[in-house]
Amino acid sequence: MAEEVVMLTGNHSVSEAVKRVKPDVIAAYPITPQTAIIEYLSRVVDSGELDSHFIRVESEHSALAAVAGASWAGARTFTATSSQGLLYMGEWVFWTGYARLPVVMAVVNRCLAPGWSIWVDLQDSMAFRDAGWIQIYNKNNQEVFDTTIQSYKIAESKDIALPVMPCLDGFVLSHTSSKVILSDPEEVYNFVGDYSDPIIEIDTGKPFAYGSIVMPDKYNKDRKDLMEAMERAKAKIKAVNKEFSETFGRSYGNGLIEKYGDDDADLTIVGIGTLADETQQAIDMLTSEGLKVNSVRVRTFRPFPTEDIIDIAKKNHKLLVIDRSVSFGHEGHLQMEIESVLKRNNIDTPVIGKVMGLGGEDVPYTRIAKAARENL
Amino acid sequence: MIELLQISRGGSGGVTGAKILAEAAMYEGLDSQAIPKYGAERRGAKVEAYVRFDSSPIRIHSPVYNPTHAMVLDSSLIKALEIDKVSKDGIIMINSSHIPDFLKGTNRKVAYVDATSISKELGLVVSGFTLTNVTMLGCFAKATGIIKMENIEKAIEKTLGAKIAPKNIEAARRAYEQTKVETA
Repeated sequence: MAEEVVMLTGNHSVSEAVKRVKPDVIAAYPITPQTAIIEYLSRVVDSGELDSHFIRVESEHSALAAVAGASWAGARTFTATSSQGLLYMGEWVFWTGYARLPVVMAVVNRCLAPGWSIWVDLQDSMAFRDAGWIQIYNKNNQEVFDTTIQSYKIAESKDIALPVMPCLDGFVLSHTSSKVILSDPEEVYNFVGDYSDPIIEIDTGKPFAYGSIVMPDKYNKDRKDLMEAMERAKAKIKAVNKEFSETFGRSYGNGLIEKYGDDDADLTIVGIGTLADETQQAIDMLTSEGLKVNSVRVRTFRPFPTEDIIDIAKKNHKLLVIDRSVSFGHEGHLQMEIESVLKRNNIDTPVIGKVMGLGGEDVPYTRIAKAARENL
Repeated sequence: MIELLQISRGGSGGVTGAKILAEAAMYEGLDSQAIPKYGAERRGAKVEAYVRFDSSPIRIHSPVYNPTHAMVLDSSLIKALEIDKVSKDGIIMINSSHIPDFLKGTNRKVAYVDATSISKELGLVVSGFTLTNVTMLGCFAKATGIIKMENIEKAIEKTLGAKIAPKNIEAARRAYEQTKVETA
């Protein structure tokens, strides 16, 4: 079986990637708009096309607990969720991150209730930005497929050992069909490699207590280790992006960020997810009007691309940051991080923040362009 | 960039039809997107779907607000079409044996074909719904000329499988033959 070019939804792009990576254990609970990911996987497990253990669970809390347990036992694992489901998993999201288990969990971004809504914003995954997970946000279905594959290579590196959340915008990607190149299954599997030499493996022959009480000195050492692993993950994500490009011919900026337009501009629009893709369309429009603008898409929110943001802020005159999530009582999450990076490094490039597109509100490129004109 | 608005009733296969059309565009060498509009849709209620086609990669993720063309799968939904939003150079495609009164005098280019009769003749009826989604793709190919019938047929085959594709392909072909394009 060679490479295939197909029309695919974002959900099925995740499933096709997972099928090629062959996790040992999949456990998930359905929630809109993520359901189709696991429907597809349960079907291919049932048909024998994918040789995985599919555990049917009664809730999201159990879904992540099951894959975390399996990961501890040395298995390659997968789960997926959205919105309220992710919140319900909450305890295990932190547990998995702090235990450094290389779980991959696709998060189909959907806003939180109330009001009850099924559409996109990033509030769900952003609520877990401090849980010790790598978070990679995608711009289109091809990247969703590619990032899901890359996630395993990053998570399962012994020098990283961190869970990874590939994030995709609900409906805008999850339910929209577009062209996706599905790379040859064998080549994908070889790229990720098998997981026969796991990071951690429970050995019943050598009983050991996991998750028992620790004194503050050990606890602090563990958290410091986690911080350092996140720091190392930056180079790892870049290297995996490069190796992926060499193998499959597709890459996403330097892995951490994707720049668009001329390097030196009066205004740089910084965004995340599909809004940052839509922003590129706005940049073309503004450039044709003779304006000096460029854009940056933050691909990994954790680890945060601090060095790249410093570099961009130094080269450009003003930053317009568009967030699709917000910390109530403060400001948008991207804006918050960028301002902190600038302040810490004594960079006085002005930052203007806009929160747009909550609850699935549509943000066409014309609106992004308008915001840019108003702030030039 | 060419943008299509498709209006249909929930349960009549509109979302699948939009996806087949986007896939056919891919075989034509275009970049494409099929966007179903999700909300509290029920069977029988009005649903919209959008398809984009472009010769370069599409970076827009919004729904379509000002379509180039519009396609209405159920003639009783024609009044739900906001004609002023459709490009003046575009084509309004409708499942109807004649140009509906609603469109008369608009000076718009209208493509019409009785897709319901074609689908019924071929037995494309599921749970009481006559499926006109695929049939109307023949009308689209004839009226717009954007996508060749062979690519539409390839996409139907790929999506629906060898068992049910032949009847659907035949329906699309008949619609292609029978589509009339006139200025209303």
